[in-house]
Amino acid sequence: MKTLEVLAVLVIVAIMSLAANLVGAKIPVQDALPGMAVLIAICIAGVLCAKHIPVRIPSVAYIVTLACILTYPGFPGAATISAWVKKVNFLALTTPILAYAGIALGKDLDMLKKTGWRIVVVSFVVFIGTYVGSAVIAQVVLKMIGEI
Amino acid sequence: MVDGIRNWKNHILVLILVIGAEYIGIHSFKVGIGTIVLLPMLYALAAGALLGPKFLKLVKQKDMVEAGSLIGVTLMLLMARYGTLVGPNLPMILKTSPALILQEFGNLGTVLIGIPVAVFLGLKREAIGAAHSVAREPNVALIGDIYGLDGAEGQGVMGVYICGTVFGTIFYGLMATVTAALGIFHPLALGMASGVGSASMMTASVGSLSAAYPQLADKIQALGAASNMLSGLDGIYMSLWMALPMSEWLYRTCYRMKYGQLPDRPVYKEVRS
Repeated sequence: MKTLEVLAVLVIVAIMSLAANLVGAKIPVQDALPGMAVLIAICIAGVLCAKHIPVRIPSVAYIVTLACILTYPGFPGAATISAWVKKVNFLALTTPILAYAGIALGKDLDMLKKTGWRIVVVSFVVFIGTYVGSAVIAQVVLKMIGEI
Repeated sequence: MVDGIRNWKNHILVLILVIGAEYIGIHSFKVGIGTIVLLPMLYALAAGALLGPKFLKLVKQKDMVEAGSLIGVTLMLLMARYGTLVGPNLPMILKTSPALILQEFGNLGTVLIGIPVAVFLGLKREAIGAAHSVAREPNVALIGDIYGLDGAEGQGVMGVYICGTVFGTIFYGLMATVTAALGIFHPLALGMASGVGSASMMTASVGSLSAAYPQLADKIQALGAASNMLSGLDGIYMSLWMALPMSEWLYRTCYRMKYGQLPDRPVYKEVRS
């Protein structure tokens, strides 16, 4: 996966997201442009980190971490970056992704029919597991430190 | 991936899907005490799936494979945006109590219950993607990066992601009501548990709890929001370093119990060159 190819895909998706941002969230393209440029830069930086830092950490982890640091209050320019990226609606970024996923899904529809209901059951089990797991630990720790 | 980039037919179709879906906009329906939310991304997904050879015949096998090859990279922009949601709240998160931090490990409860159930139901490698986490955006991106989203693990995580998006709010709203009614857990513990890494699920759960305990509403909301931020921050590392290795191990163990033999070795995406 060459960095230049990644950049090409990012630019294509950015254009789609700007369109979604305009139609759905009603934010003009020129307002969202600086934020989008920052997001693309963060992604490329994350990809380069994953490529050149010898520890085996996926690029998405670097990307989340970098974005987090850049918007940490007190980091130089954090307020500006936060204000820029706020003009890029979170949901507008999801629509193009799921459109590509939808097209790709076409080839797995038969498979999906077979696993479909099972995934729904597993989803509900997963939701319950997370919730109850966290509640048990929170309950015990809160009791121990005397909060409740 | 080069073929995927050069496939202009796909890009134009996606642009049409995106604009159409965004034009329809967000619709939510009140069902009982919860809400079912339909987002543009769901219309785009459904319409995209209908373009295939089975229905509208607008895209061929080749187009579908090429669209799939791009999904991993398309998720990166979303992840960058996600990080910018967490960053500004970091000081607040870092100040919060040890209870808040420790209950994050409760998210591993998904693995302990989810993997055995998934394997028992007959899922194979889909189980890893489906049950390693609550499958919000960072987890989808991570599975995409490690196994690829067009494989079995990818289908698992996407399945739960979609389920969570459609039914998540109503499910969490109901679950909070039921667990609160049971009276086993203190409302503040349930408030903390509400933060699973999705703002809408957290809001639904915290909303139900606040209605049940109006005198504690402020505290419940603050803890829910803080825990949600924390999940957003640690979620990806929790999955990478704890939940995924645990899932792989539990999957092997459950698989051997059910089928009497070890599963095939996992296939990782080729190491980035």
